[in-house]
Amino acid sequence: MKVIPLHKKEKTLGKVYGKRRYDLPLNNNANSRFLVILIGLMSFLATLGLSAFFTLGAMSQRWISGLENNLTLEIPAETSEGRLLSLDEMNNLTQAAASILTSYPDVARYNVMDREEIQNLVEPWLGKGALSADSFPLPGLISIKVKDQASRQSVESLAKKIEDTIPGARLDTHESWLKDVLRFTNALRFSTTVLLTVIAVTTVIAVAGAVNASLSAHHTDVELLHLMGAADSYISRQFQRHALLLGLAGSAAGAMIGLLGVTAIDWLAGEMEIYTSPQQYTSLPQTIGTAMVPAVIALLAMATARQTVLHELAKMP
Amino acid sequence: MIRFEHVGLRYGIGPEVLSDINITLAPGSFHFLTGPSGAGKTSLMNLMYLGRMPTRGLVTMFGQNINKMKRQDMVAIRQRIGVVFQDFRLLNHMSTFDNVALPLRIAGKPEKEIQNNVRELLEWVGLGEHMNVLPNTMSGGQQQRIAIARAVVTRPRLLLADEPTGNLDDEIGERLLGLFEQLNRMGTTLVIATHNQMLMDKFPHPRLILSKGHLTIEESKFNLRKKLEGLF
Ligand SMILES: Nc1ncnc2c1ncn2[C@@H]1O[C@H](COP(=O)(O)OP(=O)(O)OP(=O)(O)O)[C@@H](O)[C@H]1O
Ligand SMILES: [Mg+2]
Repeated sequence: MKVIPLHKKEKTLGKVYGKRRYDLPLNNNANSRFLVILIGLMSFLATLGLSAFFTLGAMSQRWISGLENNLTLEIPAETSEGRLLSLDEMNNLTQAAASILTSYPDVARYNVMDREEIQNLVEPWLGKGALSADSFPLPGLISIKVKDQASRQSVESLAKKIEDTIPGARLDTHESWLKDVLRFTNALRFSTTVLLTVIAVTTVIAVAGAVNASLSAHHTDVELLHLMGAADSYISRQFQRHALLLGLAGSAAGAMIGLLGVTAIDWLAGEMEIYTSPQQYTSLPQTIGTAMVPAVIALLAMATARQTVLHELAKMP
Repeated sequence: MIRFEHVGLRYGIGPEVLSDINITLAPGSFHFLTGPSGAGKTSLMNLMYLGRMPTRGLVTMFGQNINKMKRQDMVAIRQRIGVVFQDFRLLNHMSTFDNVALPLRIAGKPEKEIQNNVRELLEWVGLGEHMNVLPNTMSGGQQQRIAIARAVVTRPRLLLADEPTGNLDDEIGERLLGLFEQLNRMGTTLVIATHNQMLMDKFPHPRLILSKGHLTIEESKFNLRKKLEGLF
């Protein structure tokens, strides 16, 4: 009779994993590795999706607050018949507009843009010095800041007064443009929500599948524990704990790589001067949300394992 | 302790392997269960340790109708039953010690008590030197002794042993039956399935005889003699 002592490794398989005792060799199959990798991928995607969600929110918020209370008054440089106005005529019209704005109580301040400012404004598109020749008149632009409490009707009546006084003048509230942009970002945000849901569902299905495979691999042992008077919770706890540990390992790694990915994207965006997301992680909800990805996914894995095991055990009398 | 009334069992759509079983086993009683191979001994034990529900009839265990029992009550009853399975059902990934300790751990006993009890019991069944060995590296007889140790370590109220001495030589077989007797004297009810005529003759307990799914009871000759002596 050979006496083969338990090696350290075998002990970890059967009895101890960390400091916890397992009655079933749950750590002993390729299933576990598959699950860790899958959960890692899921939490990687979840981290990206979540930061896209928050970034889009922050972006549209910034646009809204940047454009709120800001109006632009545009005075065309030609009449409706197509005749170019002279510089004097333009100045007169601008003066008229300015005096209306001065008299209007809801206008906080306004700024008549001079040639140089307009030039700066169009420079990115037309290049330096494109408008340097004084040869032709530029449309007049007045940027207006209305007071916070200014009502919509008040802005509308201002627009009407100006349009009545100055033919062809247009008061732009940026509203329609803003609406389009918001609709767009909201659609993107909705897509990321769908993505996060798909990630959660995939995780549940994968964990349930893995636990079912594990249950049938250890069916006789599970039944033995059951017959020895192990309560359902006693048995499911072992699977739960295992799923939780696998889930934490996978999702922590995945989230870490996800964060690196987000940082890289940020950096790239900065390099390419796409200023979509400055100060990614300054908002508190985003920090908390991202930090919770691994925990949420691991808990989801645990709850799924629990439900799967209890469902199987219910089939035993 | 155990009461079967018109109990029948069939597996799936197969024939009835147990039909119309009627028995009452009193607390503290000791019965052998015998009969030819395939007669249904293991199946009958399966009903007794609540591994299956009967397809008909009424089973009462520890005074409770098992059909009306709550799930957690079944857990409590199973913890009071020790089972030696015909095929041992040892966990091959854990040591002999842990196999025997398992029912105590399931019952939530303190680790110190577990250490002492399991050690002592394993010494007693002659496996003191093999505590840290995996069961599947041991002989059939040694595995059987592990299975027996695991069944008795909790001092169950009811012990069901399915061919517990099948792989043992007569000496160890008798020794283990002595252990069962000792448990019986301390109040444990026993049902032992066996083919071993020698053992049944040596220990005078009534026999449950299964044949083609039907059960009859035969008082042991020893008891009959005692009863007869009592008559005169
Ligand atoms: N899980 C099962 N599924 C289907 N049929 C089964 C099952 N277990 C046992 N049987 C059938 O029930 C009958 C009784 O089997 P059982 O194992 O109870 O006999 P036994 O008296 O214990 O035999 P042995 O002395 O060989 O152990 C047999 O005909 C067997 O084929
Ligand atoms: Mg049998």
